[in-house]
Amino acid sequence: MRALRMSYIVASVAGVLFFVLSVTLLGVWPARVLQEQSRNMAPENPLGLTRSEMRGRAIYAREGCAYCHTQQVRFTEADMKRFGAPTLAWETRLDYPHLWGTRRIGPDLSRQYQTHPADWHFAHLYSPRSVVADSVMPTYRALFNGAPDQPTQEARDLVSYLDSLGRARELAGPEGEARARKGCNCPDDEMPQMAFHSAVINANAGKARREGPTPALPGNGDIVRGRELYQHNCASCHGPRGHGDGAAGSLRPLPADLSEHQYSPARLSFVLENGVAGTAMPAWRDWSLDDRAAVAAALRELSVGQPEPGIPPATLELGARVYRDNCAQCHGMNGGGDGSAVPELRIVPANLQGVRPTLAQSIRVLRNGIEGTQMAVWTGRLSEAELSAVAYYVRGFYQGEPR
Amino acid sequence: MYAHGLAAVLMLFVSMTFGLLAGTQLLLPDLGAGVSWMTWGRLRYDHTQGILFGWLTNAFLAFLYHAVPVLTGRPVLSARLGQWLFGLWNFAVVIPGWLLVLAGFSQPLEWAEFPLVTDAFVILALLLAAIQFLPAFFTKGLEDLYVSSWYVLGGLIFTLFAYPMGNLVPEFLPGAQGAAFSGLWIHDAVGLYVTPLALAIIYYVIPAASRRPIYSHFLSMLGFWLLFFLYPLNGTHHYVYSVIPMSAQIGAITASALLGLDVILVVTNLLLSLRGSGYLARDIPLRFVATGTVFYLLVSIQGSLQAQMAINRAVHFSDWVIGHSHLAMLGFATFAAAGGIAHAWQRIPWARYNRRAMTWSYWLLVTGVLLMVPHLTLAGLAEARLWQSGAPWLESVRAAQLHWLVRVLSAIPLFAGFIAFLIGLVTGPRGAGLAEIETAIGLEPVEHVSPRLAEAS
Repeated sequence: MRALRMSYIVASVAGVLFFVLSVTLLGVWPARVLQEQSRNMAPENPLGLTRSEMRGRAIYAREGCAYCHTQQVRFTEADMKRFGAPTLAWETRLDYPHLWGTRRIGPDLSRQYQTHPADWHFAHLYSPRSVVADSVMPTYRALFNGAPDQPTQEARDLVSYLDSLGRARELAGPEGEARARKGCNCPDDEMPQMAFHSAVINANAGKARREGPTPALPGNGDIVRGRELYQHNCASCHGPRGHGDGAAGSLRPLPADLSEHQYSPARLSFVLENGVAGTAMPAWRDWSLDDRAAVAAALRELSVGQPEPGIPPATLELGARVYRDNCAQCHGMNGGGDGSAVPELRIVPANLQGVRPTLAQSIRVLRNGIEGTQMAVWTGRLSEAELSAVAYYVRGFYQGEPR
Repeated sequence: MYAHGLAAVLMLFVSMTFGLLAGTQLLLPDLGAGVSWMTWGRLRYDHTQGILFGWLTNAFLAFLYHAVPVLTGRPVLSARLGQWLFGLWNFAVVIPGWLLVLAGFSQPLEWAEFPLVTDAFVILALLLAAIQFLPAFFTKGLEDLYVSSWYVLGGLIFTLFAYPMGNLVPEFLPGAQGAAFSGLWIHDAVGLYVTPLALAIIYYVIPAASRRPIYSHFLSMLGFWLLFFLYPLNGTHHYVYSVIPMSAQIGAITASALLGLDVILVVTNLLLSLRGSGYLARDIPLRFVATGTVFYLLVSIQGSLQAQMAINRAVHFSDWVIGHSHLAMLGFATFAAAGGIAHAWQRIPWARYNRRAMTWSYWLLVTGVLLMVPHLTLAGLAEARLWQSGAPWLESVRAAQLHWLVRVLSAIPLFAGFIAFLIGLVTGPRGAGLAEIETAIGLEPVEHVSPRLAEAS
């Protein structure tokens, strides 16, 4: 019995030691390593969080956002392809407590910086299904004064926090990555090396960009599949019939009225690949080319075909003059949306070679401008004759297939 | 004990309602109507905290009031202390914790969602529980302790260490550093708290109800010590492929595999103890406990597998893990706790007991678990496949919908099962449980059959 008692006492001591061991080996030691990594691999002066963003962080924690959205891109191929560079320790240095999360019902949010504009976030928080039809996210109406364009300070804080996720890493740029690689000092360590091998920091397939490739879409898209895709992914903003009258009426600029425009295949492909930077229109890079061709076919079906009116040459001449004096600086001499002012603009002006508005739409835009963009209201500056002349004229840039 | 038992079941209903609302919101996301306290996140916090603190802890305390005097031959320290503990636990921890979370005061840490102020009361209550139950174990000397006693000792003492670590450290260490400790607590909450106390019940009820000693006391003790050595070393497996040093991850993954082997040993010993006793069909509490044992085996092997990198790479973050945690908490721990409560109830001479309702409860709950867990696992596999394929994110949400629907439907047998369980505890003639033990089995009247006594016979 003495031996038994002794063995129990030894085991009890060992039990406590194993617990201490676990805390030491899996808690204290990793924390020290991570602290050191944080120090060595961080950029020189990493951007912190503003007061508003810190408050947004607290709201994010309070609402359990981390229980559906992780903030931890793992060192796996699938994660890096979908979200971007794996999360490094220094990126989480301001997180008291951490928000890594253990479940993804929605996507990871570590690389949200500049992935969606604020108006998209507000619409999405107020009514997620107004912008993502099949989303299962709860609505956060309590953060608004009754409408998505009436956010409370809390909603503003939360959105500014969301847009800060991944910012410090992104802004540190190639110098920051180089510094991290040097600070890591781990050329043979496979996993940390992966962190530096991702092509881009933010790989979110929905992140819009101003410039990018225009992949060639297969010719005949499956229109039945296209209609279905449209209803599940596009209709919430652009409306079930494409009139730009979906549930996301708070977006600025408003979603395009697809029935009032004709799009060239190249333009559709460009927008599906790259989105429309600066607007709520995301990119759809994670779609197969077949699916994109299918939805393109469904879109063509939505636009209203109109007989092209014959235009007196004098009108065209007037339109050309008005265009050159007032429009070319932004929209480009040939309507390619590539005028000299483009780098100054938050949203790239319409590429009129790729999109042709109906005459009515053309006039409407000239009269009303486009809220949320730099497209101005021209009624006070152009005479009626000039206005309608240029409305005719701009439709001539279109280079899509005639219909 | 009676109060804790009833509080356990009542709080179970509240916790399940939180879970059901959260689960339903995945199908009807506008259900919460944007009301802040009805949003998914807060319900989700309250669901798991309610299960851990409201249901399981109350059930464990109820069981301890029954088992500790039998195991030690001495009464618990004080009835007065017991009232304080009951009041503190339910009215200073669980109910305020729930309300604070709904009002927006919480911390975003798994198994630690109640705010810091509540944590203070948790620690105080755990201390009181240790004072209430533990001294009795030290009166007879360690060598006489039955394995259940060891599990109670281990569970209560180590939780006192682990709880502050999991709840406090991540508040003071940033990001990845805090997460290292969070990972430990996620596992310790289950491994050093729920598992030991559930196993204490299982090790107690099996010999007491079947009137035969545990198959091997040596294996029991071996299993116990291996479990307490290995469990704490598992935590980092919640963050595989993260920035946490690879050697820590691999250590935890290895410990996870070894733990699976240990559980096989523990469960083999338990199942061998049940072999041929013939009580399984007649004794409903024993049936609960035995089923919990089988779930324990399944969930542990599953856990060891999903910690391995090749599997973790795919299924981590998916509904597979949600299935795993339900198999652990609802399958293993809840079946053990329900069995423990029912077993103790049978032995309170003045308590009502309704055998028919208990039988219904058992089958309904088994149905619920077998509906929910496989469907969550399938959902997880579908999500994992789509995530790996690079398909648009929403595809994985759409693919899970059908399984989420089944998960919500599984609430019907589960609620019905727990209602039947409650009916089993509050209807039927007084003393029916005791009468059942005495007559239905045809043995001499038994008041409290100690496992040690059973072992000696």
